[in-house]
Amino acid sequence: MAVWKVVVLLDLALALGVGGGYLWWGRQADRLGRELAEARAAAAGPREFHAEGVIRAVLPEIGVVVITHDEIAGYMPAMTMGFRATSPKIYDAVEVGDTVRFTLGGVPPNLALTSIEKLGRR
Amino acid sequence: MTELGLLARFVHLSASIVVVGSTALLLLAGRSDRRTALAWESRVVALTRALVWLAIAAGGVVLAHQAATLESRTAAALEPLALARVAFETRFGQIWLARHGLLLLLGAFVMLRFDLREGVDWRAARGQTLLLAALALGVLGTAGHSAAVEPSAATAIAADVAHLLAGGIWAGALPALALLLRAASREAGADARPYAVVATRRFSRAALLLVAILLVTGVVVTVAQVGSIAALLGTGYGRLLLLKLVLVLVALAAATLGRRRLLPRLGGDAATVGRPAMRRLAASVTVETCCVLAILLVVVALGVSPPARHEQPEWPLPFRLALGALADTPDARPFVLIGSQLAVLGVVVALCSMALRSARLPLLAGGGVLVLAGLVMAVPPLATDAYPTTYERPAVPYQASSIAAGAVRYARDCATCHGPSGAGDGPAARALAPPPPDLRAHHATLHTAGDLYWWITHGRRAMPAFGHLEPNERWSLVNYLRALAAADAARRVGPVVDSARTQVAAPDFTFAVGPTPPRALRDYRGARIVLVVLYTLPASRDRLAELAARYEMLAPLGAEIIAVPTDASPDAIKSLGPAPRIFFPVVTEGAPEIVRTYGLFMAGPHAEFLVDRQGYLRALEAAPRGTERLLANIQALNDEKVVAAPPAEHVH
Repeated sequence: MAVWKVVVLLDLALALGVGGGYLWWGRQADRLGRELAEARAAAAGPREFHAEGVIRAVLPEIGVVVITHDEIAGYMPAMTMGFRATSPKIYDAVEVGDTVRFTLGGVPPNLALTSIEKLGRR
Repeated sequence: MTELGLLARFVHLSASIVVVGSTALLLLAGRSDRRTALAWESRVVALTRALVWLAIAAGGVVLAHQAATLESRTAAALEPLALARVAFETRFGQIWLARHGLLLLLGAFVMLRFDLREGVDWRAARGQTLLLAALALGVLGTAGHSAAVEPSAATAIAADVAHLLAGGIWAGALPALALLLRAASREAGADARPYAVVATRRFSRAALLLVAILLVTGVVVTVAQVGSIAALLGTGYGRLLLLKLVLVLVALAAATLGRRRLLPRLGGDAATVGRPAMRRLAASVTVETCCVLAILLVVVALGVSPPARHEQPEWPLPFRLALGALADTPDARPFVLIGSQLAVLGVVVALCSMALRSARLPLLAGGGVLVLAGLVMAVPPLATDAYPTTYERPAVPYQASSIAAGAVRYARDCATCHGPSGAGDGPAARALAPPPPDLRAHHATLHTAGDLYWWITHGRRAMPAFGHLEPNERWSLVNYLRALAAADAARRVGPVVDSARTQVAAPDFTFAVGPTPPRALRDYRGARIVLVVLYTLPASRDRLAELAARYEMLAPLGAEIIAVPTDASPDAIKSLGPAPRIFFPVVTEGAPEIVRTYGLFMAGPHAEFLVDRQGYLRALEAAPRGTERLLANIQALNDEKVVAAPPAEHVH
């Protein structure tokens, strides 16, 4: 066989090897993405989140408490946000400026405050 | 141990480059059936074969050395597990694997004995060798410092790869070229002389292009890795680069001389002109080869030293050149102007002399004299004192906590002479000659942070040294002085946003609201306009209610409000009470430093500072009423098209 044919075959094999390897890795990424989506779907259902924050406002007329809170792991980063309370009793004992530990419950994204516990000064 | 690693890298790089270059030279020269040329070709091919395996062996030592370095124990160099960890789990290792895969393929390929009598077969075999060797060399460019350049690593990598390949072909071809010239310059090699002449001409033409690529990509890589004159002169990396430049200039001078003087004579009468010229050219190429080996040694050293950009430059000269030096001496300005124009004229004349054949020398000399005269006129007025720390980056960022700490230190140690506000009017100032300077004035433009740091550390004229303070405390003093100067400049910033006014960087600060994690002003960079409100209850309550009522409107406009209580109470939110409903951040931690720092810019019970998306202070007001002006200011900032680069994290 002529040398130039050997060289062409060698280069083709090289290109196929690199291309095939790239495609294989691409498949892996797709598969991982699918697994992640499945894991996410499996996580749907009632959940509970805990975080700390400081009360900024209590709005009894609409049953909402505004809290500047810490990161809620697995749900949202730190921010100031209004949360619906499941019952007025939950916010009876707190007032603006209190540092609290609170619990959100429900099926995301329909979460509501299920309890607020006052913390001492840190 | 380090020397062994350096040596292995040097051998590996040199061998890889010579394989690429000599194969490229074979292709450039083409085939010949002359006996001497054939003998040379088979020598070069044998050399290539040996060098590929040498490169692979040296590469193995490099990997072992890397394993020992990463695990910081010598024994790891010989442990298969440690080697596998480095090869598979580090970026260096993965690139190493790719390179050595290609090199092994190349090694196997060059070991095969082919029948190369057909021209197409010959080109295919040589071309394949070049392709594999160049691929292996090019991959090296993705493993170096360029891969770590932010934010445009792709450009830096592309420049690095082009630099490696062009350098590989040019520098790597030199040993083979020297061999050919030497062989053909012997009496017995006369049959290959025409072939050698053609090969040298072709190489010389290609080398012009390659050197141009080397220079351009070299500048790109240098800008990415060094970035400033201070880093070039003041760091180990920069000085190595200068050394490399000198060696390159020597090699280029030898190459130019060879091209100009010897190349035209190669074809002359064999005994009297051609052969002696060829011998001298062979010697000149050997000199270039030695330079290239030295350059490669420097390149390897550069590869393992931290890039200048990440090092603290230590300025080596007692002076530096700065336009700011003219601020004090308006009389010198015309000299600088005329001098600079003379120098430019001189450069133009010198360039013209290159284009002209007649009167080249007088013109060149005249241009040189003009440049010299221009520099003698323009440079001395620009010179200003400099110190080893002049270009050092402050160890402490320009932020409120440092400025506040500096303010405390200043009040205790400095205010006696420099005055409570930095005006140079302290109680002890009258006894001093020369009197202490006004620190608020153009200290900010004329002197670098490193200059101030040096004076604080070593003293100056009547000022004693404060080298006994911790370095961080000294940098905090520098930051405080910068804040004083910025506060002075901020007097020209009014309540209305005006793009034409000087921009003053807003000192960064960190704060927290209740139990939330700390945030910083700079977190809002590029995202939000921030209104920093220093307030005092009860006087500010109405204003806060006004802002709170407008808060819902500000978020869609891209603005945030950060309220800072001047009493720095941790119970600030509680003191505000349930009405008005305030949803913007009220600082409960970090307030004292913010109040102290921003109080320099505007003191009083209530003050508002508008910070744009780049982090510049754009408007400030003591007791604003109504929100129309605030909304108009935010609108003006949103409409701005010319965006300034954000201020550096550190003062300069």
